[in-house]
Amino acid sequence: MVKAAPPPDEPASAAARHDAERGPVVLSLGVVAVRWVALVWMVALALTVGHFRHPRLAWAAIAVTALWTLWRSLSRAGSQASPWNLAGDLLIGAGLAVLSGTVAPIGQMAGERAFFATVYPVTAALSWGLAWGVGGGLCAGAVLALALVGSRTANSIALDTLTGGQLANLSSGVINYLLAGGVVGFVARLLQRSAVQVRAADQAAMQALQEAARLAEREALAREIHDSVLQTLALLHKRGRELAGQPTVPSAEVARLAELAGSQESALRSLILRPHSVPTAPDASSASLRGALEGVAHGIDGVPVTVSTVGPVWLPAATVEELAAAVTQALHNVAEHASASRATVFAELDEQGEVTVTVRDDGAGFRYDEQALRADGSIGLLRSMKGRVEQLGGTMRVDTAPGAGTEVEFRLPPPRHLAVQQ
Amino acid sequence: MTSPPDPVRVMVVDDHPVWRDGVRTDLEASGVAVVVAEAGDGGPAIELARTAKPEVVLMDLNLPTVSGTAAIKQIVEEAPHVKVLVLSASAEEPDVLEAVKLGAAGYLLKSATRAELADAVLRVRAGEPVFTASLAGLVLAEFRRIAAPGSTSGPSEPTLTPRENEILRLVAKGYTYREIADKLVISVKTVQNHVQNILTKLHLRRRYELMRYAIQRGLDRAPDLD
Repeated sequence: MVKAAPPPDEPASAAARHDAERGPVVLSLGVVAVRWVALVWMVALALTVGHFRHPRLAWAAIAVTALWTLWRSLSRAGSQASPWNLAGDLLIGAGLAVLSGTVAPIGQMAGERAFFATVYPVTAALSWGLAWGVGGGLCAGAVLALALVGSRTANSIALDTLTGGQLANLSSGVINYLLAGGVVGFVARLLQRSAVQVRAADQAAMQALQEAARLAEREALAREIHDSVLQTLALLHKRGRELAGQPTVPSAEVARLAELAGSQESALRSLILRPHSVPTAPDASSASLRGALEGVAHGIDGVPVTVSTVGPVWLPAATVEELAAAVTQALHNVAEHASASRATVFAELDEQGEVTVTVRDDGAGFRYDEQALRADGSIGLLRSMKGRVEQLGGTMRVDTAPGAGTEVEFRLPPPRHLAVQQ
Repeated sequence: MTSPPDPVRVMVVDDHPVWRDGVRTDLEASGVAVVVAEAGDGGPAIELARTAKPEVVLMDLNLPTVSGTAAIKQIVEEAPHVKVLVLSASAEEPDVLEAVKLGAAGYLLKSATRAELADAVLRVRAGEPVFTASLAGLVLAEFRRIAAPGSTSGPSEPTLTPRENEILRLVAKGYTYREIADKLVISVKTVQNHVQNILTKLHLRRRYELMRYAIQRGLDRAPDLD
């Protein structure tokens, strides 16, 4: 079962990617700056040059351009390249170029002086180049160039009467528009491509890292499987064949083989589950009581033992060790004396930080009478378990009756064992 | 408990044919059940649950393509009367709790004896939840997680009553329902009802989780179309 997880970020390459992706943003901010400079330039020229054929039309055009500049400065980065915005850019740009000829005194456009509305249109070529690359920039540039030619007509100038200087003036305007669109388009594409390349390189590096980690893990796994599991399987194979060849098979031998297979089954399982299910300790000095108890349960012969815990139960390693030792003694006692069909070890760390561990069996039970126990020699074991738990500041309680099984309960109060938050 | 006259119709779902054979042999030798279908993957299991009409499904969780939990969800949705008993190799698999939340009626370790398996199949068909001690531990941990300070659960989510908590702890300690009934001086039926309620609350919790998940996703922005 594979769960989708966001790929981890390598800090260094993330920074590189960030830089690469900033390029186009900086470029589009640059275009906004050009818009404002062009607008200011337009107003300045309109004020200084003065006399228009249609002054109202000229100032209306300036007002519309100012509003458009404001709109384009405020529109979000994502919509900078929307078709409507780009169409508006081109319409305003071409419109301003033609309008220049309409409002200027007849024949003035033929001169070499810059006219008020011929700079702003270049921003249309810039934004097209930014959005659609060299092709887009050149297209917009060409439309603006046509509009510039149209402005001469609107200014009642016959193109075939232009002098060489006037023709050169017109040509340089045309070339300016084309060049602006083409160059910005080229730079924008270059930046975009490098951003894509950085991202691809970044992904490749990440994949290589993950692959290396996977391989290393697989090798470690293979080594451990070879060291323990394969050896045991080979032994099982050999002993199984030998037993099959014997006329009578001792049941103890078969039980031993089953035991071996069982031990390797759980060893293999813990290997497989390790990366996912073994929780990491909250700090270096704590250990999982559940892990320790499962180890204990596995080592008990004579009675099947189930371990059930509420969470992993993280405790200081020394406490875990003592509790595990006490549980081991209790389980040995069950296996030897209780004639139980099964035993269950339960452990929990409650909200107050108190630890409870119980060892419960469904066996014969007994009369909990210290006098009688001392007489038949079983008191030593109980004393030893009790001693361990009391050393940790805890208590031991035995709940049993003949025929009712036995429950041994160890309790550790919160302050002494300094519970680790789960 | 008297043995019912007709054997339980069982479907065995496991990707190991050897294991399926073993379960079939054990069940049919015990006389309590007949294996009416076998499946090696979740997909065929969903299909066979419709056609072979088993009463009890013995389900492994580790399946090749369609997981056991996914199959349980589908089977229980389509036929709520079909009881699913999870047979898993390890109690530590997080999927075990998930499977029970999705509607599995119980869970048994693969190391259970032949008699325990037969008994569990009978009990599951009779509508009794089959809880092992280690599953009870997992469920206790799950409900404790909700009650913990700083948990993201809402106040209206189902929690355990003190009595349910007490019974679940006794199950976790290895007591049988009979022993719990004797200890608390109540009937076995009452103990079973409590355990059934705990299961129902667990299923409710699953719904809350889904709802919370949906709300969180809804507030999130749309996925990147990069």
